[in-house]
Parts: sequence; structure tokens; C-alpha cells
Amino acid sequence: MNKTVTINISGIIFHIEEDAYDKLSKYLSTIKGYFSNADGGNEIMSDIEARIAEMLQSKTSAIKQVVLMSDVDYVMESMGKPEEFAGDSQDNATMDRNEADFEYTSGEPIKRRLYRDGDSKVLGGVCSGIGHYFDFDAVWLRIALLLLFFFGGTGLLLYIILWIAIPEAKTTAEKLAMKGEKADINNISKAVKEEAEQLKKRMQKYGKEFQNMAANNRDVPRNAAEKTVDFLSDILMNVGRVLLKIIGVFMVVFGILFFLGLSGSVFGLSFLTDSNNGGDWIDLLLLDGKDFYLGLTGIALFFGTPLIIIIYVGIKILFKIKYTNRWVNLSGGIIWLIGFLLLLYVGIKTGSDFNKTAKVRENITVKPYETLYLKMHETPLNYDELNMSDKDEEGEKNYRVNHRDNDYMIGNNHGIKYLLGHAQLNIIKSQTDKIDLVIVKEAKGSDKHSATERAKNILYSISQTDSVLEFDNLFKITNADKFRAQDLSIILKLPVGKIVYLDKSLANVMYDVENVTNTYDGDMINRRWVMTENGLKCLDCEGLDENNSDEHEEYDSESHVKINVNGVNINAKDAQIKVDSNGVNINSKESKLTIDENGIHVDAKKKKNK
Amino acid sequence: MVNSENTKAQMRKGVLELCILSILSQGDAYPTEIIEKLKETKLVVVEGTLYPLLTRLKNTGLLTYRWEESTSGPPRKYYMLTEIGATYLKELHLSWYELVDAVNKTINKQD
Repeated sequence: MNKTVTINISGIIFHIEEDAYDKLSKYLSTIKGYFSNADGGNEIMSDIEARIAEMLQSKTSAIKQVVLMSDVDYVMESMGKPEEFAGDSQDNATMDRNEADFEYTSGEPIKRRLYRDGDSKVLGGVCSGIGHYFDFDAVWLRIALLLLFFFGGTGLLLYIILWIAIPEAKTTAEKLAMKGEKADINNISKAVKEEAEQLKKRMQKYGKEFQNMAANNRDVPRNAAEKTVDFLSDILMNVGRVLLKIIGVFMVVFGILFFLGLSGSVFGLSFLTDSNNGGDWIDLLLLDGKDFYLGLTGIALFFGTPLIIIIYVGIKILFKIKYTNRWVNLSGGIIWLIGFLLLLYVGIKTGSDFNKTAKVRENITVKPYETLYLKMHETPLNYDELNMSDKDEEGEKNYRVNHRDNDYMIGNNHGIKYLLGHAQLNIIKSQTDKIDLVIVKEAKGSDKHSATERAKNILYSISQTDSVLEFDNLFKITNADKFRAQDLSIILKLPVGKIVYLDKSLANVMYDVENVTNTYDGDMINRRWVMTENGLKCLDCEGLDENNSDEHEEYDSESHVKINVNGVNINAKDAQIKVDSNGVNINSKESKLTIDENGIHVDAKKKKNK
Repeated sequence: MVNSENTKAQMRKGVLELCILSILSQGDAYPTEIIEKLKETKLVVVEGTLYPLLTRLKNTGLLTYRWEESTSGPPRKYYMLTEIGATYLKELHLSWYELVDAVNKTINKQD
């Protein structure tokens, strides 16, 4: 007993056995796959179906009503294999095709694959190939790519990647596959249905085998288990394939996005060096213009090549392209290596320019006055040149710059670029009774000599009119000198008894100036300070708190006495006595005495002669 | 290894068009009839070859067809020659005889 299916071919009803039906429907869909793209494909199909109906009719009668497997075999034999006659629907070029070309084995319609179409190409047939794959006119793609070309040449690059990644359809089989059955929704649902049917059958088969298992031998369960494993691995394979596709999409999309970003910044750097941005910094860091472009090329190759490879691999995953071009991997590696070497070269060359540090001291004689007025130059800089927004809105001159510390800025004076850095002012006690002003300039270079030269080239000026000392707030470095960690500090050595008035314009320049009351730099301005034996002391600080003396005692380790529940702690300038739960500890500059759980320990340091 | 089957198939394919047109010049026919005649002369090995060819000839305007009801099966598609088809066939006939002549001479010389 066999189950039959009722089918309708060319308007005639047939009863056909289930397995025979499967075979026939597979056969018909295979033929359909061949003719789906041919002229009059539907007509050919209906002619063929009419003929099959006729043949089947001759095989059935009132006595033999059902179409059997042997009847289907007869039909297939007389009609022939699709690959034997499908060529006639194509142009004559396919007539001379070789059977060996044909990868057709499964009995399924040919799955559409992505190939370059050499027959209707403009450059490499990439666009027409993609057009075949997605069923649209290649012209639109060509236009789109041409437009993309104006975005940093992305279109061209994408085209070249596709050209390399997609193989050309050379044999007839490849040309057929290029226009093969499209993976559209109908096909997919059909495939899913078939898959589900097969699954059902397999499950039924497994069920039977499990039923037989008890009655028959023991080989069956192991066999069934193996089959279950096969089945599970089938499912895993399918899930894996989907995941791979998703990964492919991500690779292509992100590869292109990152590449756009990279090409944008590289082209931006090479074209926009006039404006106040990263290009200037690279320009200031590198040795000269040639290295600047070498560096850019290095960056482009070093970061661009992996991105291109990512896009390339993504495309291959997406379109299941198995064909590999070994020159791609090789040349990709070489280009990347070139980029790496370029970066290495520029990096080492630039880095070696930071090798040695040199300090240059310039002494400036200051005419002595009882009280010195220290302030900034009236117009130390044209702030407009700096593109800076921290000009005081009320019109009052304000030399405060938001970024203190070691921030550098780029200035632009009539097209000539220069680097600006913050100078630092410190006031200390003079060992003599003369007022000394020292400018310490610092810079790095490949050797001591060039570092010294560079330090000397730092532009900075201090001028004195009567008792007024005027400072620049920023020091200048010309672009030719490059940025080599230049730094500049001013040390005013003030004898005991002399007085300085710190103008409020100095707030930006003063750097941790020591004083007896530990007043912060910001609070020292607008006041007069006298130099005493212990340091600067404020003359008109009434009303100003002595900067929270409790707090700063904590971290003032210079000299204090502290007695509390923890013990005794006496700190002098060069000595310390500490008594606490650990024992007694006496330290001086030259020796050390410790009494603790280990006993008494005396340590006298040897004087080192330097 | 030379596959003579393949060459033979190609030769048959080459003259198939001429043969179909010739059969139809003797009277209208539907595919099964055409196939039977061709099978008698062993010109067709698999029937599938015929259908794409018929459709192509029809699309190029050499053939046309009409439907005829059948008592025993699906309606039959009777193909017939058009005027263009008839003139085309005459040209083919001429060139066929020329070809046969030329081929025969060549082959006989080889002998």
C-alpha cells in the first residue's frame, strides 16, 4: 500500500505515488530553474508540461490509474536531463559548452551566484554582475559608484575591492549561475518547506528505528544516535551560516564607515593644514614637510589596508565567493608592511628629536628699587590670532587663559604659524643683596647642541621701566623649530627687605610661589609682598585668612610639632622625631635611630662626596 | 580521449532547426508528432531539446501556432511555418546542400 498525491499537469489530473511525485516535482523545478531567465521561459515550461501530461496519460488507463516511479523515470529519460537541452534557450555561445564545465550534480536548480559579467562590462563587469545578482539595471549602480568617487575616492576603492573579490564568469556553468535562480522569497519558502518535509520524514524514520530498537539488535540505537547527531549538526550548520552572513554584513558596513572616516581625516590633514587643527600639530611635531606626507601615507596604508581586507572578506562571506586570489593576501600584507615601516621611520626620526634635553639660563640685570611692580605687558599677544574665546566680555583686558599648566597653543600671524606656551614665574630669596632675574629656557633635540639651539630660539621678553617689570605671558616658538617640549620659567631672586607688588595680570603666570602664609597664587595678586628671611610675607593682607592653617599643616612636612593620641611627631627641616605605637624613630639627614620590636637600630649614613 | 558522442550531439543540434522547419513545411504538427518523426530518424535523443528550440523559432517569427482541442489529453499546440519561415527554410535548404557537397568533397579527398 502506498500513499498517492493528486496533481494537475497542464489541466489534467493525475494520481501519483508520493515518492514519484517528489522526484517529478524536483525535476520540473530544475528545468524551471534553467529556463527562468530565458526568453519565453514560461512558454517552454508549459510546452514541456503538456508533453509530460501526454506521456503520463499514455502510461495510465482505467485499470492502472496511478502514476508510478517507473513512469516518472520513463518521462525523465525521454525528456532528457535539463542540462542536456537547456543550452538551446541561451545564445549560440552556449552550444559549444563542455559537459565538464557543469557543476550541476544535485538535481536542484542552479543557485544564483555573484560573478563579474565580462560580456557586458564597462571596466571589469562588476556592476553588471551585481546587477544580474540583484535583478536591476547596472547603470544605476555605475552612477552610484561614480557619485561615491567624490567622497574621498570611496567609489573607486570599493570598485577595485569588488573587482578583486568577485570572480569573472568564464565558463558557461558560471555564466548560467550568474543568472541562475534567484534567492527570492518564493524560493526561500519553497526551500524551507522542502526542508521541513524532509525533517518530518527523517523524524518518522528515526521514530521507526527507535521502535525497532527494542525488538532488534543493539546496533540500531547507536546508528540512530549517530543520525541524531548528524541532524543536530545540520541545524548548527544552518545557524552558523546565518551568523556568518550577519558577520559579513557587519564587516562590509563597518569597514566602509571606518574607511570613510580614515580617508576623511587623512585627506583633511593634508588639505586643511591652514586651519587651526590637528594638521598643525602633526606639522609641528614632525621634522619637515616631507615627513609630514610620509607620515600621512603611513597612517593611510597602516590603518587602511586592514579595513580594505575586512571589506573584502566581508563581501566574500556575503556572496559565498570561494575563489581566492593569493596575490590579494600577499600584496595586502606588503602594503601594510610598507605603511608600518613608514610610520616606524617617521616615529623614530621624530622620537629621536626628543632625545636630549637642554636648559639655557639667561640672566637679566634688574635696576634695584625698594618696591618692584611686576605686571604683564599691556598687549602681550593679539588674542584674535589665537582663535580663542576667553576674551573678557565686558571689554576689560583679561589675560587669563583657561588652559593653564602645559597646554600649548597655535598662533597665526599673517600666515606664519608659531607655537605658544605658558611661562611660569617664581619668586625666591636671593642669596646676595642684588635683585636677579633668571630666565630658564628648556627644549629637547636629537643632541645636546640642537636642543640648546632650540632652547635659545624661544622668544620671550621682559622689560623694565623705572620700578615696573613687564613680562610676556606666553613664550613663542617658530614653526621651523617645531614642538620639542619647550618650556620656560622665570625666577626672580629677591634680597631680604625688598618689596614686590604683584599685579593681577600675573595670575596666569605665577606658579606655586612660596610664601610664609602659604597663600595660593590666585590670592597673592594685587598685594605687596616683602622678602623676609623665611620667604615672602604679605604687607597688606588684612582681612585675608591665613589660608586655613589647620589644613595645610597636614601636608606641610617642612616643620611642625604635633602631639596627640597617636604619639609625638616633631618635624624639622632636616630632622624628624617620631614616637608612636611602632616605637621611637629619630631621623636626621645623616643618621637614623630606631627603637622597635626588633631592638635598637642605629644607622649612620656615609657622607657621599659628589 | 575524444568524446565522439558529444560531437555527434553537436552535429545533430546543428541541423535540428533545418529538420523541424522541413517537417513543418510538410504540414502543421504538434510537438509530439514532430518528436516522433525526428525519433524515427534518430535525430533527437532527448525530447527536452525540442521545446526551447520551438519557442525560439516562434519568437523569431519563423513559426506560429494554433490551439487544437484533443479528445484524449491536454489541448495541442499545432505549429506551422510562417511566410518568413518558408523563405528562411529555402535558404537553409540551399546552404545545406552546399554544405553537404563541400563536406563530401572534403571527406572524399581525404580518402
